[in-house]
Amino acid sequence: MNVIDVLRYAFSAIKLRKLRAALTTLGVIIGIMAIVALLAISQGLQTTISDQLNQGLSANSLIVIPSIDDSDNEGGGFGVSFGGVDSSGFRLYVNQTSEVESLSPNITSALAIIQRSGRIVSESENLNRSITIYGVDYATYSQTYSSFEAEYGTVPFNPRNDTIVVGSRVSDPRSNGTQFVFPGDDVALLWLNATVLPPVYENYTARVSGVLGTVGGFSIGVGPSDTGVYIPLSTAQSFFDTDSCDMMIVTLTNSDNATITEVSDLIKDYYGGQVAVISPEAIQSVLTSVFSTIQLFLVGIAAISLLVAGISIMNIMIVSLIERTREIGILKALGMKSRTVLMIFLAESVIIGLMGAIMGILGGWGLANVTAMVLASGILGGGGNFTITPMLSPTVVFGALIFGVGVSVIFALYPAWRASKLKPVDALRHE
Amino acid sequence: MSTIVEAIDLRKTYMLGKIPVEALRGINLKVDSGDFISILGPSGSGKSTLLNLIGALDKPTSGTLRVGGVNVGRLNDNRLSEVRLKIGFVFQFFNLIPRLTAKANVELAMSISNMSVAERSRRAAGLLNVVGLKDRMHHKPAELSGGQQQRVAIARALANKPKFLLLDEPTGNVDSKTALEVMSLIHKLNKENGVSIIMVTHDQKLAREARRTVHMVDGEIESDMVN
Ligand SMILES: Nc1ncnc2c1ncn2[C@@H]1O[C@H](COP(=O)(O)OP(=O)(O)OP(=O)(O)O)[C@@H](O)[C@H]1O
Ligand SMILES: [Mg+2]
Repeated sequence: MNVIDVLRYAFSAIKLRKLRAALTTLGVIIGIMAIVALLAISQGLQTTISDQLNQGLSANSLIVIPSIDDSDNEGGGFGVSFGGVDSSGFRLYVNQTSEVESLSPNITSALAIIQRSGRIVSESENLNRSITIYGVDYATYSQTYSSFEAEYGTVPFNPRNDTIVVGSRVSDPRSNGTQFVFPGDDVALLWLNATVLPPVYENYTARVSGVLGTVGGFSIGVGPSDTGVYIPLSTAQSFFDTDSCDMMIVTLTNSDNATITEVSDLIKDYYGGQVAVISPEAIQSVLTSVFSTIQLFLVGIAAISLLVAGISIMNIMIVSLIERTREIGILKALGMKSRTVLMIFLAESVIIGLMGAIMGILGGWGLANVTAMVLASGILGGGGNFTITPMLSPTVVFGALIFGVGVSVIFALYPAWRASKLKPVDALRHE
Repeated sequence: MSTIVEAIDLRKTYMLGKIPVEALRGINLKVDSGDFISILGPSGSGKSTLLNLIGALDKPTSGTLRVGGVNVGRLNDNRLSEVRLKIGFVFQFFNLIPRLTAKANVELAMSISNMSVAERSRRAAGLLNVVGLKDRMHHKPAELSGGQQQRVAIARALANKPKFLLLDEPTGNVDSKTALEVMSLIHKLNKENGVSIIMVTHDQKLAREARRTVHMVDGEIESDMVN
């Protein structure tokens, strides 16, 4: 019997029990759908996060922060020790930037960032929002990040003490074009000073010089942020009453690995190993490894449902084998080889697995897109600003096909083998 | 004339739990090609058992059985299937595949022997015509009478141009008129196409239409005479 005849015969057997075949296939569909949807969403999410991170990072810059412990802690401790103070009392100081700059000819600039959460208030404009205040050197910051550029007004390289530049969502919180602040407006900046007891609100009146264009992404406190308010570094030092900064951004002449390693080591040596030096690559590689773990975990869970589908295929196959004992007897009496009987039963499982996998891939892709739409629409909260574009890589499609067909074939092996081993006389006696 | 079936001290013992049931107790039989033999005997005398062995559906417990010159007792599963392909077997209970039409049932047997699709279709139609079912080709077994189903089964048995035909009570489940039709078809195949026939029956009268009648009792051949 040739392959086409085997497939045709297997198909006629499946067609006879449509409902049963549909229910068996459904198991595969659900399993594959879950895997594909989870992977499409998480890969889309990974791309979104990695893109948005890239907007906030520049490839040839290093982030220097106090390390949370004394050991080398590249990447891992990122963001934990904001506030400029670690447990041992170590601090980065604003006036160290020039010394850091002179560490290597590969360093273009070193930029200190002071960061506090605070509020922006304008009685006349009916504005009172919580924001993050960043103290930066305007000139160096705009050299490092091209997105630090005004859409309205200007970013002055020699700002007055009371100059501020605000992110687009500070002025237009709903991103609907309604601007609350304009260049020239006077606003009050507040921060809660908790270094004194009782804590007091410190404030000063600032004049808006520029409103930044929309940066997008989410802020990790490094590159320009849509919800940030930028004040001159010297103003920040006096307003927050501090000489220390929360981080330094060290810009390099190039982004070669050798340069990054060399400069990182120099900076760590300079600070006696009490800082972590983070490169954008390091962050991306942490992100990649985190996502790989998450995806493995998700796929593992989804695979369990496929296992259940496999067991139900086996169950159905055994029932079908018993029902069709006489038929198998006839086929063998007509001269069909055991191998061909085996092929017929396996072909049935291949058909079921293939249909299930194809429908599961389509369904999973649909589910991922619906999920992305729901997330984007903001029904589940999050302001609707969270766009994921689900991604379906050829590897996922191919893997899902192999997996769907593989599971159903593996679980059909035993029933198919039993069918092939039936003796014609015994099978024909079966009622 | 060449010998197509030769049984020497052929025995078949079934085990019913721990109790042995001797279905065949030393059968000696020779069938020449072109012969027409009927096997008569009371129920349980071992007729079907013998036919199943000759049809390579089962293996003997001891003794020698040569079918077309090959000792089927020595063959493995795979080789037994090849022997079955060359034998036409008609069962007492038709044993057609219910979901397939009459024509598809006949074609199925041909697809097993890898006959080309075009030839299958042509040959199946021809065979169904021979058994008088030209206008019932596209009916499923459930839509056919017992006699018609039996004739489909005969057409299927002839699908792969067998050298001989084994029939296990081919008229057991049809009325006497249909029985005569089936018998005349068998005669025709024997006379005109030279197909050797071994037919099991309960019916003395039908048995006498064969060239030779073998009488079985209790798993042994009691008499073997030319009519
Ligand atoms: N698979 C089996 N297992 C156990 N015993 C069997 C089996 N097949 C047949 N027998 C026994 O072997 C003996 C012969 O059976 P067989 O079917 O050959 O008889 P038969 O002559 O064809 O009878 P009938 O005319 O009723 O069809 C019977 O006693 C039967 O019970
Ligand atoms: Mg019988």
